[in-house]
Amino acid sequence: MTRNPQARILLTLLYLRYILNSMNVSLGFSQLKDPTLAANEAIGQAIIGLRNTPATLAFIFTSIEFAHPLVLRAVNNLLGEIPILGCSSFGIMTNQGVFKHGFAILLLSLSQQTFFNVAAVKDMDKKSPLLSGKELGDKLLFGFKNVPRSLSIILSDKLITSGTHLIDGLQGSLGKSFPLIGASASDNFENHKTYQYLNKEILTESCSGILFGGKFNFGFGIKHGWKALGKMRYVTSSSGNVIKEINGLAAVKLYEDYFAKNTLDLAKELRRISIYYPLGVYLPGEKEYLLRNIISIKDDGSLITQGDIPQNSKIRLMISTEESRLAATVAACEDAKRNLGTGKIKFLIVFDSAARFSILGRQNDMELCVIKEVFGENTPLIGIFTNGEQAPLKSINYLGRTYFHNQSINILAIGEQ
Amino acid sequence: MTPFAFFCIGLLFAIAILGISLLNKVQRLKELGDKVTALNFSLEEMDEQAKLIIRTDMELNKAHEELDKKISGLDTLQKLSREISTTLEEKQIFKKINNQYVEELGFEKSLAFLWKTLEREFHLYLYLGYSQDESLKIKAAINANKDYFLDLIKSGSTASSEFIPEGTLSKNKINQLFLVHSFIICPVLAQEGDQGFIFVGTQNVETSVTKGDQEFISILANQIGQTLDNARLFEKTWRSQQELEIKVEERTRQLTGALEEVKKISKRKSDFISSVSHEIRTPLTSIKGYAAILLASKLGALPEEIRSRLEKINRHSDELVHMVNDLLDISRIESGKVEIKKETLSLRIIVEKIADLFSEQLKTKNISFSSNLPEDCREILADRSQIERVFINLVGNALKFTPQNGKIDISANCANKIIQIDVKDTGFGIPQDAQESIFEEFFRVDNTINQEVKGTGLGLTLVKHIIEAHQGKIWVKSKVGEGSTFSFTLNAA
Repeated sequence: MTRNPQARILLTLLYLRYILNSMNVSLGFSQLKDPTLAANEAIGQAIIGLRNTPATLAFIFTSIEFAHPLVLRAVNNLLGEIPILGCSSFGIMTNQGVFKHGFAILLLSLSQQTFFNVAAVKDMDKKSPLLSGKELGDKLLFGFKNVPRSLSIILSDKLITSGTHLIDGLQGSLGKSFPLIGASASDNFENHKTYQYLNKEILTESCSGILFGGKFNFGFGIKHGWKALGKMRYVTSSSGNVIKEINGLAAVKLYEDYFAKNTLDLAKELRRISIYYPLGVYLPGEKEYLLRNIISIKDDGSLITQGDIPQNSKIRLMISTEESRLAATVAACEDAKRNLGTGKIKFLIVFDSAARFSILGRQNDMELCVIKEVFGENTPLIGIFTNGEQAPLKSINYLGRTYFHNQSINILAIGEQ
Repeated sequence: MTPFAFFCIGLLFAIAILGISLLNKVQRLKELGDKVTALNFSLEEMDEQAKLIIRTDMELNKAHEELDKKISGLDTLQKLSREISTTLEEKQIFKKINNQYVEELGFEKSLAFLWKTLEREFHLYLYLGYSQDESLKIKAAINANKDYFLDLIKSGSTASSEFIPEGTLSKNKINQLFLVHSFIICPVLAQEGDQGFIFVGTQNVETSVTKGDQEFISILANQIGQTLDNARLFEKTWRSQQELEIKVEERTRQLTGALEEVKKISKRKSDFISSVSHEIRTPLTSIKGYAAILLASKLGALPEEIRSRLEKINRHSDELVHMVNDLLDISRIESGKVEIKKETLSLRIIVEKIADLFSEQLKTKNISFSSNLPEDCREILADRSQIERVFINLVGNALKFTPQNGKIDISANCANKIIQIDVKDTGFGIPQDAQESIFEEFFRVDNTINQEVKGTGLGLTLVKHIIEAHQGKIWVKSKVGEGSTFSFTLNAA
């Protein structure tokens, strides 16, 4: 330690500058049964981890039983007035593992040169998804007049099946090639309800988001690992997320043919069939097909998918193996890492499809192990299991168009500039 | 050849070439068409193969899922079983079942009820995945339909959303009652005490209950039943033990009180004896002194009749002094006033001394005296004067009660640093019923021999006290007409 007072002041100033210009991240997680106690425990861990630097933003991911106003009140009491963004999910992922119950918080102390804004659009059931997306985009842009924008993260309700239109609306406001990363929250198949957290509010049937700008470095990767099988077919008639005809026949015929089952039997096993063998939409120039889950079968033989399939799309039935899915996880991680460049990774946000979680069954922490292998054991990580993921496809080329994905793993790596 | 002819020939030639070329193209088109047909056929074939692959893959996935579920279920059951089986309190058994276990078994809701015969209603022991209000409402509904559930318990059969036994509520009714889409209800059959049932369910419309699920829940219910039996047995045993402990404690308190009372009385008795003995000894000494003076004719010659009376007074006074001394010794030992000064003593020397002491009487009654003292039993750790009194008393008694030409034998044997000494005679023997009381104060066997042989009834009491003061034991084995053996133990030196 130097004894020169001037040097000491200079050192302190340099340290302060370093603190103010660098990003600090801390993670907290609790599985205590009492939701308020769990929130207290997790926040306590995160605050200690920040080592006296002031928190400027919090991401909160919880299992459904923690979605209670009292919990958010406890969070606000402990964290003060800092912006909060998050949602409920039927599973949480942190460095510690994969959990069906728990409260996870990621506290960020962002540099003064990083700008952000959080917002939400409520009651989406009463609005068109396109307009909702536009409204959210406009709200997020508030105060960003002369600030370069970098990335937007959005968290939407599970019940919003028109994810494609929501993205279109957001892109209408933020720009067609602006990178959007996001997810639709998943529930525990019980009450068919998901919750979004924004500051002091618990919302349903809404979409909340954050827009980052200024000094902000990120990289992302999205992959699924499903491979095309069988003949290519054409969507000869469709409307939004309803495929009416494939190759001029009722859409359900495709599945009836492949699985040798009638519509009734198909409907009974639809969830399993849909997650193991989704439809793949061919996108020229892309290595992977865009996946679409089948949500239900209509009486006229139309298939309702999670996300739109435009008319004249070339589609194929998709199949995967554990190996191909895990290879996709590795590829998504490597894309995110490469995309981030040389900047030091500060933390990861993972949006992993709930379908992938179901398929992994007992070994549901396999993907987490793969992620930790690529990014290192101690890189802070927080994630949820989702019912649809949003991300641009051409992640390497940066400004790719954002799509609504199914059954994919979406990895967002945030790093220092 | 005219130019026209040349032209015609050229035209014909060109037509022929064109025709040949056309024919070639048609041929190639036909070949390409065949190739396209073949490719389409291959594509169709590959599509058919793709269908087969998908169907096989689906079967494999199903099998994999089922296997995965079974492994997970078995793992969960093993963990649960370990947790439950170590529980010995009825309510704690159900507390060991938590959300995580139920979820690992593929369900998110669980309830457990036990039928209380006295109250004639089902009591709720576990609720998972329900709020308290919901669980209480379900409890009320179950008690309203208790007969169905009692029948289910009685029949011992499992009900599930896939199979409902006859006479039970309908699937829809159960779904409504428990607020689920799929369920399993399995009786908890304990051998003794209250029986009940465990319920697991899910609201997930995509979950269907399999045979494997039913088996798992059935195993869990059996495990709970067995653990309930164990817990109840433990409770019963524990209660009996508690009752027994209370009784033992009560009895111990009573005995301690009685012992204290006995000690007080004993002390009072010892004090009394000590005091009385002292009081008696002083006048006795005077009586004896005066009798001695008179007998010595220091006050003049005495007529024979007076002399003989005085001699009697003197003899009886001696006996009385002897008795008083014994009583005083007993009282001193009892109250711990006598200090036992242990030293290494030669058993052989003591026995020789005793033989020497009684040699005159032995000779008079023609009683043979022998001793058998092995090499390793020759040294004892004892107070010399006290232990000599023991030998004097025991050999003296043997001499008194052994008729002419009899035998007295002293033998010893040693084990674990304890020496057992036996004084054996060929006397009249002691009746069985008197053997237990022989060491009591003033006890004398009620028979003709004792009427002839004089004694105070204090000798053996004193011997017992001395041996016990040496941390030894004394006992007697005797048969009337054959003789007695008095045995006692002392520490070897």
